[in-house]
Amino acid sequence: MASISARRLAKELREIQSEGCPVGITLLEANDFSRWLFTIEVMGESLYQGEVYDLQFRFDAQYPISSPAVQFVVTGGKQSPIHPHVYSNGHICASILGNEWSPVLSVIAVCVTLQSMLASCKVRPTDNDRYVRNAPENPKKTLFHYDDDT
Amino acid sequence: MNEAVPERPLIDAVAPMSSLRSEYENGSPIFLKQIDWLVKHGFDHVRRTRGDGDCFYRSLAFAYVEGLINSRERDFAVGSSLSILESTKETLDKAGIEKMVYEDFYEDFETLIQSIIKPGKDGRTLNTQQLLLAFQQPEVSNSIVIYLRFLTSAQIRLNRDSYEGFLVHPDTKDPMDVDSFCANVVQAMGKEADNVEIEALCRALQLNVDLAYLNGVRGDAVDFIKFRHDLNPNATPVVLLYRPGHYDILVQKPR
Repeated sequence: MASISARRLAKELREIQSEGCPVGITLLEANDFSRWLFTIEVMGESLYQGEVYDLQFRFDAQYPISSPAVQFVVTGGKQSPIHPHVYSNGHICASILGNEWSPVLSVIAVCVTLQSMLASCKVRPTDNDRYVRNAPENPKKTLFHYDDDT
Repeated sequence: MNEAVPERPLIDAVAPMSSLRSEYENGSPIFLKQIDWLVKHGFDHVRRTRGDGDCFYRSLAFAYVEGLINSRERDFAVGSSLSILESTKETLDKAGIEKMVYEDFYEDFETLIQSIIKPGKDGRTLNTQQLLLAFQQPEVSNSIVIYLRFLTSAQIRLNRDSYEGFLVHPDTKDPMDVDSFCANVVQAMGKEADNVEIEALCRALQLNVDLAYLNGVRGDAVDFIKFRHDLNPNATPVVLLYRPGHYDILVQKPR
């Protein structure tokens, strides 16, 4: 039997292909069940108007029981959005990607949540420089402290 | 986590109560009295589970399926279990949980229950030993835990009037509203269940459960909390052992 992640991701991909992504989200790349790439853009009037970011998902064989590793792409001239929960290395501090992850969420649900998160003030997290200096390669290895839900 | 300490399997083989008792011999005398009381009343074995926050759902699922295997009218028991399980999909649909999100977990649970009466490739039906092996594999085990979590969440959200006001954060004990409780405590892996979740899940599965409270509060007996949702109130209950923060399966001496 295919791994639980392959079963689920094949279904998610079929749904994206047949129904399309929500407004402001496009699928760039999904060649396998280990890494997918999306672009994400905040629609309407916001501080992020006209800015397009690349969002990377990495899945292990236990997805969706374990959360995907999600981060903004900061290579190839790309940058992460300036936001109090987004570090300059692309890592994101969001409880739904950590201790509040649930298999009820899907890749698209995560995209939509992050899209709506990008609506507050444009500043880096206060501990950005210290975090980025010491951060592991995979954001899932960081034990974030979720202090508020802005 | 200290990697030198071997981790307990997700669900362990049946062990005599004395193995649990030995862990309290230098501790609370009231716990020892309560363990002795259980043994005296026929509960002389225990099947222990890993303390990973999913132990209630895992214990309940294992004991439930094992009860079907051991049922005197096995075909009937499995048949009604499958029809109840089938109806739970409607509960999830009504609660707005997407089919895509739950169907893989559902199928794993359904296939396992079907295999009690339907011979597999080796021509054999599921026995307790194979059930144990299945539950020790994270894939099958966790799929079933998740399905039960989704079902519990759906049951609470569809009957919010019955549960609102009883929902508290498991760590802080602060009151929580139905939606954040279901999203953050019930639907997420590794979050321990309390009586609210047990009540909701027993109702959804039409199940009788006895929960033995080994909590060191009284030395002369062990209190059993009874959840009765089987259409037959006398149907054999699933018996679980609760110690503060953990659930195991209590095993009764065959009569």
